[in-house]
Amino acid sequence: MKTIFLVDDSATILLSISNILTKAGYATEKAANAEEALRKLRTGIKIDLLITDLNMPGMNGIELIKEVRKLPAYKFVPILFLTTESQQSRKLEAKAAGASGWIVKPATADELLNTIKLVVR
Amino acid sequence: MDEITSVFIQESREQLAEMEAGLLRLEQNPDDHDNINGIFRAAHTIKGGSGVIECHFIEAFTHRVENLLDALRNNELAVSPPLATLLLECCDHMVSLIDVLAAEGEAPDADLGAKGDALTERLKGFLDGIGQPAEASANSELAVQDSTVEVESSGGGIVLTDSWHISVRFGENVLRGGMDPLSFIRYLASLGEILGIQTITDAMPVAAEMDPESCYIGFEIQLQTRSSKADIERVFDFVREDCDLRILPPNSKLSEYIKHIQELPEDTMRLGEILVRCGALTQAEVDQGLSEQKSSVEHAQPGDPTAASQLGQILVDHKVVHKEIVDAAVVKQAQVNDKKAKDARLVRVQADKLDQLIDLVGELVIAGASANLLAQKSKQVDLVEATSVLSRLVENIRDSALQLRMVQIGDTFTRFNRVVRDVSKELGKEIDLVISGAETELDKTVVEKIGDPLMHLVRNSLDHGIEPTALRLERGKPACGRVALNAYHDSGSIVIEISDDGGGLNKEKITAKALERGIIQAGETLSETEVVNLIFEPGFSTVDKVSNLSGRGVGMDVVRRNIQALRGAVDVASVEGEGTTFTIRLPLTLAIIDGFLVGVDKAAYVIPLDTVVECIELKNLPSDRNFMNLRGEALPFIRLRELFEIPGDAPPRESIVVVQFAGQRAGIVVDQLMGEFQTVIKPLGAMFRHLRGIGGSTILGSGEVALILDVAALVQTVTHSEQQLLPGRSHAAPAALSSNQFTQH
Repeated sequence: MKTIFLVDDSATILLSISNILTKAGYATEKAANAEEALRKLRTGIKIDLLITDLNMPGMNGIELIKEVRKLPAYKFVPILFLTTESQQSRKLEAKAAGASGWIVKPATADELLNTIKLVVR
Repeated sequence: MDEITSVFIQESREQLAEMEAGLLRLEQNPDDHDNINGIFRAAHTIKGGSGVIECHFIEAFTHRVENLLDALRNNELAVSPPLATLLLECCDHMVSLIDVLAAEGEAPDADLGAKGDALTERLKGFLDGIGQPAEASANSELAVQDSTVEVESSGGGIVLTDSWHISVRFGENVLRGGMDPLSFIRYLASLGEILGIQTITDAMPVAAEMDPESCYIGFEIQLQTRSSKADIERVFDFVREDCDLRILPPNSKLSEYIKHIQELPEDTMRLGEILVRCGALTQAEVDQGLSEQKSSVEHAQPGDPTAASQLGQILVDHKVVHKEIVDAAVVKQAQVNDKKAKDARLVRVQADKLDQLIDLVGELVIAGASANLLAQKSKQVDLVEATSVLSRLVENIRDSALQLRMVQIGDTFTRFNRVVRDVSKELGKEIDLVISGAETELDKTVVEKIGDPLMHLVRNSLDHGIEPTALRLERGKPACGRVALNAYHDSGSIVIEISDDGGGLNKEKITAKALERGIIQAGETLSETEVVNLIFEPGFSTVDKVSNLSGRGVGMDVVRRNIQALRGAVDVASVEGEGTTFTIRLPLTLAIIDGFLVGVDKAAYVIPLDTVVECIELKNLPSDRNFMNLRGEALPFIRLRELFEIPGDAPPRESIVVVQFAGQRAGIVVDQLMGEFQTVIKPLGAMFRHLRGIGGSTILGSGEVALILDVAALVQTVTHSEQQLLPGRSHAAPAALSSNQFTQH
């Protein structure tokens, strides 16, 4: 089973996405902030995709992506970020940090799953 | 209610509390950008969540608030007092909307709806002021430009095919971005049928120079699909900036194919072959196309305008990309520098589950005590040893479980920032709130229930305590009044103080009022402490005009009752002209305590261990009075046997347990001391509520019931009865009772 790691400071978003993913047959891991996510990743958990929010208190999503890419085990893991900001600069910044792609909130379950299908190997 | 909704409600309440705190800080510190970001993020999270649970009335309103905050964040608007007030009102409104959702309402009622509309109008007013339409940014997603550039037809025959031709060259960073080039092919296959595909590896350097982490490949793909060009482009959305993508629709002109080939980096002839191989063109078409192209290029001006403009476009695009990445990197740097890692490792647990755990731990403690008792009776050393290890562990589990319920009082305190701000504005007074001891922890249940009494006391201080500014200046005080909230731990209790530097309580007025209301009788002499504490008596109010803040004359009475219901106590100290301090004492926990077991006759009683100072064994206590000399200090005491009217004679050797509560010491005389005991507090039934001196019950290891003594009430009884023995003496008594009284002893 593919494991998707979700990072979002909003418990509502976290729960709703994980519900969709679980129904679609994915396993999920969750973290409420970037620091917690990094801590979990440093324990070496196996994930097939990381989905993170960009705007979080403390370390933001872009910093998280950069840090994750520094970890050898996650150098090539697909990373999607959640964004509502259409600003191109934010997307480019995240891409430059090592993100694979993005999901525009609010997304329907189909949009979400299709995007995931695109990046999960 | 489904799980997501309840999570949303809880989360939103937290976000709103944070937003409110942020808005209050905003007034003090309008330029704190982190703070504005935090406020925006709170609104943003609520909007996002409400979208997820499809609660549109919250989403719509929050969206408008978010717009205004966005403008604030982008420095399009400046912080002003009216703006801060409006945002605070919006914050309140959102709380009400969440309440509607929590009550499973479909939509806000008419009143609330009208309020929302009024707020929306005012929000619009601010936004119009900066020339930004209220609904801006919502649709900007649509404004993402469609980079499709129509291929200009420039003669040549049409290539008859019903399939699309896609050329893609991936950038070096695609792998590093976590993308697998193959995934695009797979995804394309889900749009239709891939008729032909060729992998282009021309960019691959020699092995020595190759970086295995870089991507060097491209594809020529022939795709049959009903999808639009935009759909196909969307497949490559994530690598758009990082790859060279060209798409030719079905039935394109031959010349377009040729142009397509020429624009690609690889050798023209080779590409021609590749296109033939993947079935896009026939060899004849390639040859024809290339020769036609050659001639037309010869005719055309050097630097064909169409080609040039496209290339230029690409270059510009690339420049833009670079600039933005650079800009972003700069912004990034700044963010890293002022990052405040709020590193909270939190697990959300439902309160019910915790309560259940505490209940179970309670049962475990009782069962453990029972096992202990049996082990001791059996006189088997090994068994005793084993059970004592077990009970030590149970004790640890108990402490850890109780710790889970402990929360900091800080959140409760910060709520008052808003209250003080609003009320001081309403009253036209200038008042500062000073908070200390916010990190003090106490039981969650206590925190929840202390909010209301605390609110009453704070409002009382604001309303009655702090004098009007003019009067303050006249009295030589600073114009700005000060209300302080403080919390700290003190011998097993938590103490919360609410103090102000206002006028203090007028003792004469209180006495007069108490006489008038029949609370005290004429001729009764009362100590200062007793006088000021009269304000907690039912039906007492010194303010003649009832304001909407406090002073309905029921307040203080209710405050005291609420606090007593938590096994706590409240009193007040006041210096006229200098201020008033309310002190609330509460037990740290309501569930399990360390007790000290004592016996009188056959019954056992528990004294909360935190209140016990020492135990003394005495052979002959004075029987004619209720105090004794303890190392030169007067110690009033009470006999449990007398208090509870237990028949039978006291044994020749009695013990005194010295207890302390709120700085007051007293002795409790018992028959025997039985030692420490983990006490699971079981509340007494409603029938026994009025019993003074008993705070609850517990079950002993033997299965017998023991009563828990209410030390606060006992200490009060003791000092009171002792005063009656010394008529006429001022009441500051017990501690001050001069020791020369005892030299005769």
